[in-house]
Amino acid sequence: MDQGVLRELADRFGQAAVLAQPTRDGIPTAWVSSELLAAVLRYLKSSPKGAYPMLWDITAIDERTRVHREGQPPSDFTVVYHLLSLERNEDVRIKVALSGEHPSIGSVTTVYSNADWYEREVWDMFGITFDGHPHPFRILMPPWWEGHPLRKEHPARATEMGPFQMSSEDAARMLSMMEFRPEDWGMKRESQEHEFMFLNFGPQHPSTHGVLRFVTQLDGEEIVDVVPEIGFHHRGAEKMGERQSWHTYIPYTDRIDYLGGVLNNFPYVLAVETLAGITVPDRAKVIRIMMAEIFRIISHLVYFGTFTADIGQMSMVFWMFTDRERAFDIVEAVTGGRMHPAWFRIGGVAQDLPSGWDTMVRDFCAYMHKRLRDYDASVMKNRMVKARMVGIGTVSAQEALEWGATGPFLRGSGVSYDIRKNRPYGGYDMFQFDVPTAAHGDSYDRLAVHVEEMHQSLRIIEQCLAGMPAGPYKSDHPLATPPRKERTMHDIETLINHFLGVSWGPVIPPGEATFVTEGSKGNHGYYLVSDGGTMSYRTRIRTPSFAHIQMVPMMSRGLTVPDLVTILGSIDYVLADLDR
Amino acid sequence: MHAESAGVRASTYGDLYLARRADLLAWSRKYSIWPFNFGLSCCYVEMATSITSKYDIARFGSEIIRGSPREADLMVVAGTVFVKMAPLVLHMYEQMMEPRWVICMGSCAGSGGMYDIYSVVQGVDTFLPVDVYVQGCPPSPDAFIRGLVLLGEAVASEKRPLSWLVGPQGVVRSAKPSLRDAMRPERQKQTDLRSPDGL
Repeated sequence: MDQGVLRELADRFGQAAVLAQPTRDGIPTAWVSSELLAAVLRYLKSSPKGAYPMLWDITAIDERTRVHREGQPPSDFTVVYHLLSLERNEDVRIKVALSGEHPSIGSVTTVYSNADWYEREVWDMFGITFDGHPHPFRILMPPWWEGHPLRKEHPARATEMGPFQMSSEDAARMLSMMEFRPEDWGMKRESQEHEFMFLNFGPQHPSTHGVLRFVTQLDGEEIVDVVPEIGFHHRGAEKMGERQSWHTYIPYTDRIDYLGGVLNNFPYVLAVETLAGITVPDRAKVIRIMMAEIFRIISHLVYFGTFTADIGQMSMVFWMFTDRERAFDIVEAVTGGRMHPAWFRIGGVAQDLPSGWDTMVRDFCAYMHKRLRDYDASVMKNRMVKARMVGIGTVSAQEALEWGATGPFLRGSGVSYDIRKNRPYGGYDMFQFDVPTAAHGDSYDRLAVHVEEMHQSLRIIEQCLAGMPAGPYKSDHPLATPPRKERTMHDIETLINHFLGVSWGPVIPPGEATFVTEGSKGNHGYYLVSDGGTMSYRTRIRTPSFAHIQMVPMMSRGLTVPDLVTILGSIDYVLADLDR
Repeated sequence: MHAESAGVRASTYGDLYLARRADLLAWSRKYSIWPFNFGLSCCYVEMATSITSKYDIARFGSEIIRGSPREADLMVVAGTVFVKMAPLVLHMYEQMMEPRWVICMGSCAGSGGMYDIYSVVQGVDTFLPVDVYVQGCPPSPDAFIRGLVLLGEAVASEKRPLSWLVGPQGVVRSAKPSLRDAMRPERQKQTDLRSPDGL
């Protein structure tokens, strides 16, 4: 891996100011001081040798109990900034070491607009203060919460914290704490001419697709501003990673983007395989890709159906859920599960394909092609649909990059960036497919990209069907889990390895790795830190919905409430992906 | 017309049905349980799937999904009950009019399921009365429909006062049967398991 960007930083800011850290994934990683941070990010954002226009993620690590920190400066809490460059097709990780129990660091919201929510999340989860942040409030935990869950001293289990009790009075008190006060957000209650109306939307509303709340500030029909409130679906998935073995965490990944099934397993197992140095046999690669693409269609069908239902076209959701059931027939035959099959394994997949799978898949592809053509006629060419979607929620390519949009959202705004194509992973380099893009970045374009992606997924599935390689479905690397059983009764070494692998789970060598894949909604990334144990030291899940919902206020200002519904429908988010 | 419920009998004169008023009301309640369009997480997707064509809960009188708790009879707690969401769930339940029922759908709502974690309430029954528990993660739409049918049976056998002036007051509910026990003899007959290698 070219570490050119680190040399560039050392030339610019001095050799002593930049400390490089080798990582398992080869992403250039540099430690800088908190004083230099803003300058470094500002430089990288417009670097003449290839800009990093996107702040992809901000997260933190509680380092206080970590053992293996060879070559890293002393730190109690580390804040990690992950930037993405399309020009270089490369990422860079900037780390800042902080000391003390409740440290603080300067906010970078003035450099990257989307740092806002990420910094709030780090404050909420770790208790690290960001000086100069415009809204330093909790984002995921409720306002009455005490403590910061991802700190090592915070309990993980609910059962460690005493039974949950809530009387009607408690509930009323909690509800009053969640009441919206415009002043907290620097909003006025009235303009010079008249009062604004504050309309509460959610957390229980059919158009929010789950438990998510928006408070809209209205001037008549027009939306002046929107404040999203998230965290109602926070399920502690990252803390869970510190408590489950590397293998038993796989089912939790299914439930992140819960419409995407194995698409979630993909980045996680690839990240663990990067840490462990496992290579996956070809058959396993193609099986994984085939199942991932089937799930991409399943997820896009739900998006397509519910989006059209949101704007009032009721029949499509019934048609598309019927198609989805056909796809689930395949999923059920192959994995035994439906929405959450948890079917990928460290080193391969759970089992081989059943005999007769090819007929099922072939029939499904033939059926789906025809259905998609029908939907073109009934939705995409429908002038009522166009009237509701065209020109609504327009996002330019530059805005999309600035706010960290990825996946179909980014491609809808005209940026041709697909991880499967730009950085082929897990065997995608073996396949022929196009990356659809659109020009205007409005709601209609986002839908059109999704529809075309289903065609491309079918193309990939057909190639899997034609060229499914023979061979093992799982690696025989000693860390592949569960370990292969054939030879366990023949020699003691294999028996011991098998016993440890299925009882404690694999011990992954210390190190750090991020793996990013193209999910159905955008980039899924797992940033795993191993301290050489049977469990992860830190699991960071970077999800697309979090970035996309942060853009809603920007997208809906100046429009009306029905447009807000269209915008939400067009985004393709899912609540567990938003709050984790 | 499904007139098999206890107390509602078809007469020998074709379309004439005879019943006591209390039984007729219970029977109508059974076939018009309107669910509240409310979901918490993954389970809600399977609940929504049960409304669509392949499963179609309209067959059991529950096709009318209401967006407001005031118009709904049934709250399906479909998904994980989050600490931040708990007061809102209770608030919405309190807004529902009697008679009202609760189906607890999925392992999370039942016990916290695989999420024994700081932000999750370990079972919605810590603050709501539950009528039917449906297990699964998420339960398939078929499992949800079975839960709905079970609820229908319980609703038909419920005794409610006809008015606040007539007869005994208070609701008499039947005991909750354990399906695990009821199904055991049938399940014990299953001795051959299908191989996962074929379809």
